[in-house]
Amino acid sequence: MKRKSFAPVLVLLVVVFFAGIGLAADKPVKIGFAYIMSGPFATYGQFAKQGAELAIDELNAKGGVLGRKVESFFEDTAGKPDVGIRVIRKHVFENGADVVMGLDSSGVASAVAPVMTELKTPLIITHAATPDVTGAKCNRYTFRISLNINQNIAMASAIAADMKAKTWTTAGPDYSFGHQSWEYFQKYLSRKKPGAVFLPQAELAFSPAATTDFSSYITKIMNSKAEGVLISLWGGNLIDFVRQASDMGFFDGKRDILMTLGAATEVLYALKDKMPTGIWVGTRYWFLANDTPVNKAFVEAFHKRYNAYPSYNAHGAYAAVKAYAAAAEKVKSTDKEKIVEGLRGLTLELPVGKITIRPEDHQALTDGAWGLTAADPNYPIRILKPIRRFTGDEITPPVAETGCKMN
Amino acid sequence: MEAFFANLLNGLSWGMLLFLISMGLTTVFGVMGVLNFAHGSLFMLGAYLCLQFVRWTGSFWTGLILGPPLVALLSVLVERFLLRPLYGKDVSLQLLLTFGLMLFLDDGVRLIWGAAYHVVHPPDALAGSVPLLSRSYPLYRLFLVILGPLVGIGLWAFFNFTLWGKLLRAAAMDRQMAEIAGVRVPLLFTAVFAFGAWLAAVGGALAAPHQSVGPAMGERIIIESFIVVVIGGMGSFPGAFVGALVLGLLHSFGTTFFPQLQMALPYMLLAAILLLRPRGLFGTES
Repeated sequence: MKRKSFAPVLVLLVVVFFAGIGLAADKPVKIGFAYIMSGPFATYGQFAKQGAELAIDELNAKGGVLGRKVESFFEDTAGKPDVGIRVIRKHVFENGADVVMGLDSSGVASAVAPVMTELKTPLIITHAATPDVTGAKCNRYTFRISLNINQNIAMASAIAADMKAKTWTTAGPDYSFGHQSWEYFQKYLSRKKPGAVFLPQAELAFSPAATTDFSSYITKIMNSKAEGVLISLWGGNLIDFVRQASDMGFFDGKRDILMTLGAATEVLYALKDKMPTGIWVGTRYWFLANDTPVNKAFVEAFHKRYNAYPSYNAHGAYAAVKAYAAAAEKVKSTDKEKIVEGLRGLTLELPVGKITIRPEDHQALTDGAWGLTAADPNYPIRILKPIRRFTGDEITPPVAETGCKMN
Repeated sequence: MEAFFANLLNGLSWGMLLFLISMGLTTVFGVMGVLNFAHGSLFMLGAYLCLQFVRWTGSFWTGLILGPPLVALLSVLVERFLLRPLYGKDVSLQLLLTFGLMLFLDDGVRLIWGAAYHVVHPPDALAGSVPLLSRSYPLYRLFLVILGPLVGIGLWAFFNFTLWGKLLRAAAMDRQMAEIAGVRVPLLFTAVFAFGAWLAAVGGALAAPHQSVGPAMGERIIIESFIVVVIGGMGSFPGAFVGALVLGLLHSFGTTFFPQLQMALPYMLLAAILLLRPRGLFGTES
């Protein structure tokens, strides 16, 4: 009698056991993305989505992460800090995200980063460049895979140091990004070239984000004594500025010009041959900056799928997904705390080059590239020729300078 | 001196664009009492249609001529089927409708043309620049500076000397009286709404060679247009002209002389006007 009653229980146990394994194996790894998907900057969210989907499809084609399929969720931050916090919470609590990635705006990133310690979920920032999130506001869960303001401006100042211009001014957006770019430019250039002069605050050209008519800012710069101009405008602002400035004779070769995000492909695709040649431009990732097989494969796959060359924001999202996968394989787990350990100090080959996530402040040491705009019949857009490459080590400020105190 | 002229022209050309857009806004408000939040989206639609016609035909002029009537046609449908049932009801319903329309159009544009930035080139005849003292100035901007007053005079003549213009003014002054006198006010309203939309779309098409065409480009300009309309006086026609010029010049000279205040200047002016002349510079006491 007793034996008979055991049999069904045993069968049930076996079934539950195998079903359990099956369930665990089928449970996907969930990545929550938060980008600007609406409004004037929607193009950034769209590019990021393309990069993320390419990376996820590549992972899933090879069996996913630790044998589990990768699933993605996209949410719109609208570029607003409060919305950003809300969608990140939604990712963690409703979508059950194992990791969150994205953020285009420095304002959103500064607001979201401190929340991550409460959510205890790793965040990989792929675009927002404010030094704060890997500086004063750094924390255990916040990482950044993309170049930050300091790194980009370190390259700008290295190039500026070799230029003739002695007196510098700036044209930038009138919020923290523009002001911080200028602040670091002054700091770094004065170190490299002690004689450099910077125009006083009242003579600079900071324009509100909603500006579409830049003529008065262009006139102001052209009437100033400045011989060099650091332009930190980006996206639609930069497109408007460049077109209007060309018409007004701004690019007449009389002044040295640096555009910190002039090599962004969304800008180059919009401007095409209206982008003047022979201007120094920077970006966070340039698709022709290196010949590594990883980069070539990425550019080729991206171009085949979307019929465009990858923008830096597409690369940022792609890189973050690949970094997460590498961290998970390294620690053999997708447990959030273990992933944090896996990301710390992670070294990984990405299209941009070999990167290392610095354990002290969670900023990626990543190579950068600037170049002179040039026409090339093989490309529909301006490309960079020659390219000046910088290693992550030479452009990243030491941890002591970042103000980061990791807990 | 040179800087002064450059700033003057910068301010005038921007002001003229603002004038065209505010003109439609203020006419629709003056005659119909409808505050059209979607006006900026109609501006955007004008720019996108111009872009599309340039892609098809390669000519900016076809975009400028053919695009705005299409936008006007769309707004005829909007007025007839969406707005008309709301006349005489709570004003907030109209605001909700036009606000919803704005969201709808902004997303619709993104679905059709994508989220990327686009560029429309000025026509060959207006490309390039002309010498101005020791510098050069873009021809297209001068074209805007000249076009603005011409459009203004044309509209003024229309309102003062044509039957339709007089009917419009009559309906704006006293709707009931106009109806009693035999004016078909519903038809007139449709025409006015379409006319406002046409003006917005013309502004959009004219703005296209001057700024990047992208989603939500209307949201930026609508705020300044509202300020223009309030400064000039709601529904006032010369008010829109003066308001737009003041705002344009404030923008260009403010950038040079008060850079730190520049973002706040239009709002400071707005606040001052609301305190001193709540009905605007050209508004009439009712």
